[in-house]
Parts: sequence; structure tokens; C-alpha cells
Amino acid sequence: MGSRAPLAVRRQGSPFTGIGPVFMKELADHLSSVRMLVLTLFVIAFGAFPVASSLQTLRTVVDPNSFLFLRIFTLEPEQVGISFVAALNFVIPLMAIGLGFDSVNSEFNRRTLSRVLSQPIYRDALLLGKFLAGLATFAVALVALWLMVFGAGLLLLGVPPRGVEVARGLGFLVVAIAYGGVWLAISMLFSVVFRSTATSALCALGLWLFFFLLWPQLASAIVSGVAPGEIRSLEDYAALQDLAMGLMRLSPGTLFSEAVLGLLSPETRTLGPMLPAQMRGAIMGAPLPFDQSLLLIWPQITGLIAGMIVVFAAAYVVFQREEVRA
Amino acid sequence: MDGAHEGPAERHGLIGTAGMSTMRVLLALLVLLLLPVAGAHAQGDPPGVKGLFLLTDYPSQTVRAGEVTTIRVKVNNAGLVPQPLALALNGVPAGWKIDLLGAGRPVASVMVGVNQDVTVQLRVEVPKDAPPSPHNVVLTARGPLGQQASLPLTLTVGTEAPARLSLKSRLPSLRGTPRSAFEYTLTVGNDSGKDLTVALAAQGPANFQSTFTEGFGSNEISSIPVEAGQTKDIKLRVTPPRDVRAGDYPVLVKVTAEGATAELRVTLQVSGQGKLALSTRDGRLSGEAEIGRTSTYTLVLNNDGTAPVDEIELSGTVPANWKIEFDPKSIASIAPNDKKEVQVLVTPADKAVAGDYMASFRASARGEQASADFRITVTTSTLWGIAGIGIIAVALLVLLGAVARFGRR
Repeated sequence: MGSRAPLAVRRQGSPFTGIGPVFMKELADHLSSVRMLVLTLFVIAFGAFPVASSLQTLRTVVDPNSFLFLRIFTLEPEQVGISFVAALNFVIPLMAIGLGFDSVNSEFNRRTLSRVLSQPIYRDALLLGKFLAGLATFAVALVALWLMVFGAGLLLLGVPPRGVEVARGLGFLVVAIAYGGVWLAISMLFSVVFRSTATSALCALGLWLFFFLLWPQLASAIVSGVAPGEIRSLEDYAALQDLAMGLMRLSPGTLFSEAVLGLLSPETRTLGPMLPAQMRGAIMGAPLPFDQSLLLIWPQITGLIAGMIVVFAAAYVVFQREEVRA
Repeated sequence: MDGAHEGPAERHGLIGTAGMSTMRVLLALLVLLLLPVAGAHAQGDPPGVKGLFLLTDYPSQTVRAGEVTTIRVKVNNAGLVPQPLALALNGVPAGWKIDLLGAGRPVASVMVGVNQDVTVQLRVEVPKDAPPSPHNVVLTARGPLGQQASLPLTLTVGTEAPARLSLKSRLPSLRGTPRSAFEYTLTVGNDSGKDLTVALAAQGPANFQSTFTEGFGSNEISSIPVEAGQTKDIKLRVTPPRDVRAGDYPVLVKVTAEGATAELRVTLQVSGQGKLALSTRDGRLSGEAEIGRTSTYTLVLNNDGTAPVDEIELSGTVPANWKIEFDPKSIASIAPNDKKEVQVLVTPADKAVAGDYMASFRASARGEQASADFRITVTTSTLWGIAGIGIIAVALLVLLGAVARFGRR
């Protein structure tokens, strides 16, 4: 590796010099690209349908829930069979992959990478700038979607959301951006690893499909393989459930849906199984305070953010070790 | 005529049913006497009294000028064939009006079955200016076959006898708690010669509620008619206010009718009763508790009653595997209108799930208890939140380490 020798030479200045121009350029590219437009329309179309149906249901049915606004997100309308958050769970990875799968290797293929790096811009700054620009683009689209949903709710329900509902909605926005960030980091990792954009896109989409379609079955297969011949006690059962949930939580989609459940369904007390002893004396259906809900899903949020950072770090390491003068 | 029957009637009064009116006793005895196979004959009474009799309780009585007096006369047929008997009155003084009434209607004759009797009322209307002197009026019943009976009545016009009432109670002093109702059975007697409508009133201390009811009825009454010479049972029900202090409280019962008054003093002996109330200092019955940590709430025990509450034990119900302790566990006594504070220490189970739970605290003393439902919001420790931030920090450190390690010119 040729990188050994320059290691001894200390870099001058911050490794992130030039991050600003990279970020601005990438952001401008993303926002003006046709791909971005298509992706945004795709997400809006995907989200609008459940939201419209939920709003229709909420307008006709008297919902005793005191968190009416959050029900727009979580309600599963009969006509559609999928709630807004479930649709987002599915679509967010697609959008993030669309934004990131060719971020580095397309520069290789267009032979622009060495030209960019000949500028006073470190590789660190390039990769981070690209990542942050992708995340910002994604955040813009999601915030727009979020505002549209809230606006539609205001218009059609005629009830202003309460402060705590707005806070929970904002929390949901943060979690959704972190979830998108994980998939953006994954797709950027593939774009760094593979020179071919098609391979990179395929691998990212394959991983996405794997987590969505295969992983739940694989996890339950693993659990049934590990499970003892007979379950003797409630504790055994709870332990198995814990194992199954731990395996499922390796998928970012599970983390996202659990975090969203805790945020948007305030009556959620626990994400795992609840023993009868724990149920005794509990007032079911009483909403948890916002901070308690946050504490409940804190591991999920942490997992998403830390996962995003770790995957980005991996992409970074691979990128740093690559030969760009091809 | 009547005098001849007085003797046996008195003798048989011993076996007469107690409580029956004199009239009915007499009637029963007369029937007894006249029955041929009656057991009473074994006692050696003159058997087989036959004939027609006119009977009244008081053949000689006082009537008042300007008033109407009713005299009941019984026509008795002992062993004779029933016949219509014409009734006639002789010697009615001038200006007087005496009507014969049967079942409320004016009648001129009666018909009495064998060994039966029929009651006739003489409605005597005395003029206002009648001089005070005795008058003899003879009532005669005469049948077509010559059977006859007559009843001489001596009606003396007397001066207006004032209405007189009596009021008695068998149990004039009752004992109870402020929450019990005090029921006194009172007997109102009309000792005057005419029917009276008696107004009832009771005077108790302020805020004492008293109501009158008929002997066995449930209707509240304010007055009751009492026939001349009769008594009526009424019930007085006194409800003291809940917060009354222990002590003796007199209630003055007053019955009035046409200027006559009778008074009776009944007494309520109210023994105090403690009343526990469990709450918190500011009335808020909810609190927070962290999982695995002991939270302390201050409960306030009030005695709203009128007597001290002794030996109060505190207990509580909490969800499974929770710990609950009281400090102090028991209180010796709380004086009336006093309060004591108790600390309750609640520790949620280590495996409790965040959320709202219901706990209930109880204070029980002898005969008294109070409870309060307490809503406890269980919160999770923020320790894990800090740990999460630590994990993110480690991830960032890894990234920075990678930047430092792999950064290149």
C-alpha cells in the first residue's frame, strides 16, 4: 500500500478543509437532478395514499385517542392496509440508496475524482461532504413531506396539534432522518467498494431486500434452532423472545419501526414481551410522558445514529485506502 | 236495662283482649254471653238471655252548647227472630236537633240478625244558648211483634271543657352516634271530649332535623287527628348534623290543638365518632417513582369526626414485587379535627415497565377506615440514555480514529 509512506508526514490543517464547497456543490447537484425529483415524487405518492386514507377514516370515526394528530401517521386504513410510517419504513431506504449508490464510483467513472482531489480538498472532506449533502437532501425531502402531512391534518381535521404531539412528530422526523442516514452510509460504502455503479446499486438493493424479506424468517429460524425442546417457564419464553427481538434489531428497519412505535404511540410501555407480574396494577392505555417514551426507544435511536457513523467510518476507511489515480 | 248487663261485662273484662276498645270488649262479651253453647256459660252466668237491647257506653254524658256530639248506640238482638225495628226518640228538648245515623245516613229503623248487633249514631246538635241543665232523651226501638227496648240517655249541657292533650314517650332518651337516626315513639292522647287535629312540632338545637311519621307509616306528617278519648302513636325521627360534638341534646316536642298544648322533652345522647380521611398535603393523589428507587410521598390523615380515632394501622396495595413501607406504621390516636402526616415509601420492582400504575393506601382503625387510590408514574433511569450517548460518542471516536489513522495527503 502506498499510503504507508505519507503517513509519517503530518497533514497540515484540518482534514475537513474544503468540506463547504463539496457540500454546497453536491447539494445543488442533488436538488437540481431529475433523479431527486423522481425520488421525491415517489416518496410523496407513496406517503400520500395512506395519509389521505387515514385522514378520511379519522374524519368519520370518532377516535378516543388523545393523540389525534399522531394517529395520521400510525393509523392503518382499511382500504390501504399500510400506515404512513410503515410505507416510510419501506420507502426511506430506497430513497437513501437512490441518493448514495453512485456518489463515489460515478466520479471514478467520469474520471473527475482525481481532478477534484487535486484541489485543496482532502478525501475526508470529499466523502463527508458528499454524505452530509446526501443527508441534507434527504432531510429536505422528508421535512417537506412531514410538513405536508401536518398541513393536511390541520386542514382536514380542523384540530391544531398539541405541543407534545409536535414534539413527538419532530422526534419521528429525527429518527426517520437517522434511518435514511444509515442506508445512505450503506449505499455510499458500496459505491466506494465497487467501481461499477450497477453493482453498487444492486448490492445496496439486495441488502435492503435481504433485511426486508429474508431476515425476519432467518431470525425466527435461528431462534427455533436455538430454542430448547420444550419451554418450561414464562422466563424461558421471555428469553427466547428477547433473543428473537435482538436478532431482528440487527435490521435498521426494525429499529426504525420500534422507535416510531415508541414515539407515535405514546401508550407503548415496552417493546418486548410483558410478564403478567409486570402488568399487575398497571393502568393500561395511559400514555407515557414524552421523556419516558424517548428513554424507551433510546437504544433504537442510539443504534441508528451509531450504526450510521460506523458504516460511514467503514466507507471512509475503504475510501482512504483506495487508489484514485486510475 | 243497660245496668243489668254492666255486671257480667265487668266480670268478663278479665278475659277480654287487652288493648281493645271498651266498646269492642263489651260487644265480644255480649256475643259470648248470648251464644247458647258459649264456654262462658260454664261459669254460672244467667243462661239464655233473650230479648232486644239498646246499649251505649256512657248513657249519661255531657254535651256542649253550640256543638255537635255523637253518641253511639248499639242495637242488640239476643235470640229473637229478626224484624225491622222502628227507632224513635222521645224527650228531645226544644231547639235541639238529634239525628239518627246509620252508616253515615239518616235512618229510621234497623234490622238486626239473631245474636248480632247494629250500631246507630245519635248526632246531637245542641243550640248555642241551651241552658246548662240535664235533659232526658229516650231512644226506643220497637218491632212489629211488640218487642221493644228503650234506652234513656241523660244529656247534661255543660260548660265548655277545654281541650286537653297528653304526650308520652316510652323511651325519652336515646343514645347514638352522629350518623345514627334517633327514633322516638310518642303517644299523643286526646283527653278532651271531642276529636282534635293535633299539630306536631319539635324544637331541637340548630341543624337538627326532626320529622314525624305515623306509627308504622313512612309518610311525614305535621298533624294528626286524634279522636276524643283516644291515643295515637307517632314516631319522631331526629337526625343530628354529622359534625355534631358528643353530648346531650334536648329536643322539645310540642303538640297543640285548639289552644291545648302538651310538651315533652326527649334527649339525644350523641356519642362522638371519629372519621378518617386519607389524602396528601396538597390533595394531589399522584406521584412519580423511578424504577428500583425508593420514592417518598407524604400522606395526611385527617380526623373529621367528633371523637378521637385510635390505633390506626396503615397498609397499602401496590403492583407485584413492589415494596411499600409506612413511616410510622401505625398511629396511636388522632384527636378530632386534628391531622397526622405519614410517609409512605414506595419502591417499584426492578423489572417494572415505565408507565402509570395504581396503588392504594389504606388507614384502618377500629370501626373506621379510609383509603386513597394513588397513581404512580414509573420512570426509567436516565442512565441508559447516557449510555446511549456514550455509544454514539464511541462511534464518533472510531471515525475520528480512522481519520487520524488513514488520513492522507
